Amino acid sequence: MVKKLVILKNITKTYYTGKVAYQVLKGISLEVEEGEFLAIMGASGSGKSTLLNIIGLLDKPDSGIYIFDGQEVNQLTKKELAYLRNRKIGFVFQAFYLVPWATALENVLLPLLYRGKINKEDEKKAVELLKRLRLEKRINAKPNELSGGEQQRVAIARALITNPKLLLADEPTGNLDSKSSQEVMNIFKELNENGITIIMVTHDPEIADFAKKIKIIKDGTFIKE
Amino acid sequence: MKTSFFQFLKDIFKELFSNKINFVFMFLALTISLVTLNTIYSLGLSAKKQVMDYLANLQFGKDAMFIVAGGGRIIGLTTTRRDTLKLEDVEEIKKLDFVKLASPISIGTLEVSYKGVAEKLKVEGVLPNYVFANNWYPKVGRFINEKDLKTMAKVCVVGADIPKKFNIKNILGEKIKIAGQYFKVIGVLESKPFFGHHRWDKRIFIPLTTAQRRVFNKDYIEGVKLLFRKGTDIKIAEKKIKEILRKRHKLFGIEPDDFRIITPELAISIFTKTMRTINVFLLAIALISLTISGVIIMNLMYANIEEKAPVIALRIALGADPRKIIKHYLIMSFFIAIISGIVGWILSIFLMQIISFFTPLKTFFSWKVFIFSLSFATFTSITFTLMPAIRASKIEPAILLKTL
Repeated sequence: MVKKLVILKNITKTYYTGKVAYQVLKGISLEVEEGEFLAIMGASGSGKSTLLNIIGLLDKPDSGIYIFDGQEVNQLTKKELAYLRNRKIGFVFQAFYLVPWATALENVLLPLLYRGKINKEDEKKAVELLKRLRLEKRINAKPNELSGGEQQRVAIARALITNPKLLLADEPTGNLDSKSSQEVMNIFKELNENGITIIMVTHDPEIADFAKKIKIIKDGTFIKE
Repeated sequence: MKTSFFQFLKDIFKELFSNKINFVFMFLALTISLVTLNTIYSLGLSAKKQVMDYLANLQFGKDAMFIVAGGGRIIGLTTTRRDTLKLEDVEEIKKLDFVKLASPISIGTLEVSYKGVAEKLKVEGVLPNYVFANNWYPKVGRFINEKDLKTMAKVCVVGADIPKKFNIKNILGEKIKIAGQYFKVIGVLESKPFFGHHRWDKRIFIPLTTAQRRVFNKDYIEGVKLLFRKGTDIKIAEKKIKEILRKRHKLFGIEPDDFRIITPELAISIFTKTMRTINVFLLAIALISLTISGVIIMNLMYANIEEKAPVIALRIALGADPRKIIKHYLIMSFFIAIISGIVGWILSIFLMQIISFFTPLKTFFSWKVFIFSLSFATFTSITFTLMPAIRASKIEPAILLKTL
């Protein structure tokens, strides 16, 4: 039996703008098995990024239950959540979010900085990852010396350095040209084939087609699979 | 093996220097205040050291005392008679077992001339023990001896500046005119450092007997310097001497003393009192300026954190817990403090060099000031970074995923 990595039950989330309440998630339930590649689609303001924040332990739901990798996470402290994110989740963002003053290699090693030690093996692994993503000549380049596609590949290497169980991607091709988008998606596909669970948020149907499963969110709830 | 702490520091350094303007302003704010603070503090210490050296040089260490004729305030005009301190009093004081040496002086400002050049100078009538009492010996020739005293000889020993003042190349054996009488120069004293208005090198010394009988025509003295045996309790000594003098001068009840006892401690406090008042005032200004730099640092840190919010959010998303974020910014502020502390200290030494060109104060090198500078820099920098650092640790990583 395949293990369920993510289980969401009746998740709600409301934001407040001044005194005006805006319920973004209206009782969402979701189950993601290990090895899945799920695309969540939806228009702007549909709640897809809020959902991704909750799945990625970056935000807490107002109500509902969230079980991640067999552990209920609703009551965990900020420190415990930070620990889980560091060990089990990799993030790829639309705006890449590379540290501007660090080299590609240092950016890849960043998540390990918050563990205990960075040893030679870690460095070797980071270099291997960069090579695998065809960045061997850009190891010591700063983000402003890299193209958009290259920056996103560095971000992917950074997400993979911790051997995460889950890779979360928020519009990973949103800032890329079509060629680079294609490249990034091929990498995701390959990673998924190697066993990594991926949950990706996008509004681009072509990109969503790379996923094995698509869910569409509208006004805070899933409308179809 | 590289520890992540090293990487952690490297990361902080890179972030610090990524916004050079911000860094330079934080550095300048702290450095300027520290230069002020260090310089004021050092100059205060320097002045105190100079006073101590000066007193030590005059054999006015902790086993010494000076009795001055005339009561009243320590400095300024006397409010009592000042012709009551006599050599007999000194003889009586000398009988006290803790008194090692007593050197009385009779002093006056007289016209001194040589070959048509005349000037008003301080002339002191002293005993041969004056040299031991003041740790001051002749450079050439000899000092006044017992025979000079007995014969009331018209001889004098001059301070180091006198030959130059009267333009005499070989002064030994020359005769100079003091208050209309000729005195033969028998010695020239070593040069003595001076502080304030006490120019020791411009004085002339003659035998006490000659001074009292032939020059000033008086039987009282202006003061007596006492040296005590080692381990003498100054307070007890002061009390006993006071008793003797009051009894001899027939002062009873509430009648005020007609003499003043100056202890080294008192002398230092007189010298440093004004200095201290000014110092406290200047230190207060320096501390206010340090607080202002703290506020500037706080503002710049807030600006820095606002600017770096996505990177901080990223660090949190990648697994940095709030404590690590706080630590990150406190270490950064510690770096700024250390750099500013060291540079501030070095610059303050340069500033003191400049000040020492225009004032009698000397550059004062002290590790104490260095530690003081670093501690203040660290305290200010870290205290004022604490709030921004806590704010940074509360940044929500969710801001990274902007679209709803």
